[in-house]
Amino acid sequence: MTNFEILQIITGFLGTLGFGILFNVRGVRLLVASIGGLLSWLLFVVLSNFIGSEAVIFFLVSLLVSIFAEIMARILKTPATVFATLSIIPLIPGSSLYYTMAYAFESDLSSFIIKAADTLKLAAALALGIITAITLTKIFFNIFKPKNKAAGK
Amino acid sequence: MENLFACAMDIGEQMLISGAEVHRVEESISRMCNAFGFIRADVFIITTSMVVTVFDNDGKSLTQTRRINSTSIDYEKLHLLNDLSRRICENKIAPEKIKGETEAIKRKKSYPLWAEFLSYSGIAAVFTLFFGGGLKEAAVSLIIGAIVRLGILLSEKVFTNKIFNKFISSVVVSLLAFVSVKLGIITSVDNVIIGNIMTLIPGLGLTNALRDLFTGDSIAGLLRTIEAVLIALAIAAGYFVVAIGGAVL
Repeated sequence: MTNFEILQIITGFLGTLGFGILFNVRGVRLLVASIGGLLSWLLFVVLSNFIGSEAVIFFLVSLLVSIFAEIMARILKTPATVFATLSIIPLIPGSSLYYTMAYAFESDLSSFIIKAADTLKLAAALALGIITAITLTKIFFNIFKPKNKAAGK
Repeated sequence: MENLFACAMDIGEQMLISGAEVHRVEESISRMCNAFGFIRADVFIITTSMVVTVFDNDGKSLTQTRRINSTSIDYEKLHLLNDLSRRICENKIAPEKIKGETEAIKRKKSYPLWAEFLSYSGIAAVFTLFFGGGLKEAAVSLIIGAIVRLGILLSEKVFTNKIFNKFISSVVVSLLAFVSVKLGIITSVDNVIIGNIMTLIPGLGLTNALRDLFTGDSIAGLLRTIEAVLIALAIAAGYFVVAIGGAVL
């Protein structure tokens, strides 16, 4: 791991913590959500050693972190949204979005198209990861549903 | 019975305002109504409106609707409401206490304003570093972040439109970043703007939109997606206005 990657992991953690405070997450849930943020960039750094495509890494990280969110939500008995929305914050392609805007403004058409496609690809990978995680956890909890809750919905 | 039904509606309404997915609210309301002894509950919820009809044993029906005008994400409230609805479903709370507890949760405070300012500045600064900015740029982001929060505080009083507020915030961010370059404090606006964009970007909205879309609430999901796209466009528009202004001058 390079120094910059370590810095990214730490700032990813702090950034998620900041959003947690903005959305009034308290106590142990704030800590878990921030750890989710840390985890997402840690996984990104680790996986980027093995996988070349950024979009594939984004998909895998968002899948794993969303599963982490679903599990922690069930342990801490809180809605999964709390962790799911916060933990992936370091993955939000803010930088790609900005450069897309900047190239559009400079009328640098070829760079604009490349960046726009890049942003869409990353956002789609992120989305696909989230969706897959929701579906997998749904299937899992449908199979291993506690008997006494079988009556609900 | 009618009071209990209204309580369930209140809890659902507050959950929706605090940032719950539509699916969760629908499920909570129908479970609570079942716990209250209604034999059937037809629940229809989108992000801005709720319609619920319940039937009791005698075949009598009750219908209530709620209009949700604004949302402000508050996960502490959401957690407590979720917990309350869970206890109601397990019959662990006396019916006459439900209303009091809902009111108590409604009054729960968020973090103090200074903590919010600190978070805004902090988020902008750490993401400037995250995307490769230097310490000087992070320091500029720190200050701009606080100014943006102040700007939001003021513009929320004047314009109630969320998307327009994002546009204004984006203008403020870009303007201050370009001014900082003109003053020679930093050499490039890029990382400062990126750091500050992270506080404005609808990442959360989009996550919730996807969760709604793929748990079967297509309308709610689409509404949220459109909002997220509009916010992204508003941010871009804010940047363009400033960049064009800078180019003309």
